[in-house]
Amino acid sequence: MTEYIGIAVTFVLAGGIAAAMVILSSMLGKKNPTAIKLAPFECGKDPFSLPMGRLAVKFYMSAILFILFDVELVFLYPWAVEFRDLGLLGLAEMGVFLAIVLVGFVYAWDNGALEWK
Amino acid sequence: MNRATTADLALLVPELILVGMALALILAARRIQRTPLALIGTILAALAAALASTCVVPSDDATGFGGMITVDHYSRFFKVLIAAALALAALLSVRSLDEEWAPRAEYHALLLLASTGMMLAVSSLDLLTLYLGVELMTLCSIVLVGIRVDRPASNEAAIKYFLIASFASALLLFGISLTYGVTGTTNFAAIATSLRDLGSNPLLLVAMGLVAAGLAFKIAAVPFHAWAPDAYQGATAPVAAFLAAGSKAAGLAALGRVCLVAFGSEARTLTWILTGLAALSIIVGSIIALAQTDMKRLLAYSSITHAGYALLGLIAGTSEGASATMTYACFYVFMTLGAFGVVIALGERGEKLDGFQGLAAQRPGTAALMLLFLLSLTGVPPTAGFVAKFGVILNAVRADQVPLAVLAVICSVVSAFVYLRIAVLMYMKEPQEPAPSRFPVTVTAALAVTALVTLVGGISPNSLTPWAVPP
Repeated sequence: MTEYIGIAVTFVLAGGIAAAMVILSSMLGKKNPTAIKLAPFECGKDPFSLPMGRLAVKFYMSAILFILFDVELVFLYPWAVEFRDLGLLGLAEMGVFLAIVLVGFVYAWDNGALEWK
Repeated sequence: MNRATTADLALLVPELILVGMALALILAARRIQRTPLALIGTILAALAAALASTCVVPSDDATGFGGMITVDHYSRFFKVLIAAALALAALLSVRSLDEEWAPRAEYHALLLLASTGMMLAVSSLDLLTLYLGVELMTLCSIVLVGIRVDRPASNEAAIKYFLIASFASALLLFGISLTYGVTGTTNFAAIATSLRDLGSNPLLLVAMGLVAAGLAFKIAAVPFHAWAPDAYQGATAPVAAFLAAGSKAAGLAALGRVCLVAFGSEARTLTWILTGLAALSIIVGSIIALAQTDMKRLLAYSSITHAGYALLGLIAGTSEGASATMTYACFYVFMTLGAFGVVIALGERGEKLDGFQGLAAQRPGTAALMLLFLLSLTGVPPTAGFVAKFGVILNAVRADQVPLAVLAVICSVVSAFVYLRIAVLMYMKEPQEPAPSRFPVTVTAALAVTALVTLVGGISPNSLTPWAVPP
């Protein structure tokens, strides 16, 4: 079981640091509560609302397209690091990969996902 | 470092054909709205993939991609079966795509990609490639179930399927990680070697249970079956047929390889797990099917029962048993596609059990075909269903599981009532609805192929034996 000690230490350290931050800031920090400060953090949205509201789906469309390029980049980075060793075959493989990813993008473009209606 | 070479890629020619056609369809999606171009492309790709998996790829058993992918008799058998299921499902889809709104090119591309995942799953020699294949199949199936975006039932079914499938994937991954923890590898052969040296380990029991549970979700074996009736009912009938045939065959193939190759040395533990799954599936599936009035739900419970029967071949961990399961999977694919085909051919009317009233008086040919598929699903000679069922029950007896074999036979009688109830409605009731319109020629073609296989398989029971070679 010795190989698991490292994991246990990580857990303890992570929990300790998080707890220390919360405790220290509540002990040392100034307290000047206002209604806005006490509200749960949410990026520019009302934190509590009934689920009947309508949301513009175009934001999600852009987010999904972003993931497409995000994934592409995740694979491009290690490939760029090993570019010299992988050689011509690596370049060809990356070309195929990029082409397949681009098919998805072309499909989205073709079907109007980029039009901000 | 292992690098993919052309020799490696040659092993994946069938998959590459399917992916290539799918990408072409996606690129041309806006231009394919009305034409049967997508259908023709899909069927050509399926034929080419079937041909490639038997002829082009190396004739001997070969492995590639660092021992992750193999081409052997087992994977070839299932690849041809999956290609057949793909082509038949595409033929059966024509009518529902004509009558209802659905994006045509995308629909066929998803069928092709789901089949690619199935083929990858049946030819993988590594738990991670297996997971990848199974996941590709499941993700595409979820979208196919929800492809009728304008229909709430379809959306609901897709969301249910998605939630349960992600749960199943988590179980499978957890099982894979525990297996890796015990053996230090995800490669089937290496797992087997490591298990022979290690001996028994309590963690291994959990790992095997989780892997089996994750794959049992895919074949809809009880108690992991709850998604199937809802997903089949919400999906259009051709999608339900494809799910019942293709994903079941691929799941069984994956489970068979994992049980026989990777966990072969733990046969006794596996026998317990698989016996439980098989017995529960057979009992629950055949009893709940009695209460169904919706044809897609009825066939869903029928598919659950058949998953249980197919598992009977794997319980002993012998190669004869695995061969029986392969035969079962093959004949089941054709008879279930046939039964779904009649449901699809009848349109709205075929979706309800009552719609079959008096069909024999109006369309004697269709009624006779349905009777053939029903007899085969029951397991009555001289149909393929009898040969398949005989093989797996014989295997259960050989494995000294006589109580299980007796249970299987008793539940066959119960399911005979389920299937023959439809036959009674067709032949002994007065028609309630106007005669169905003429079927599209593609549906007729698919029905003819499935009926032919169901009959030939029953008349010459050994016709599959040369190909049903276990891993």
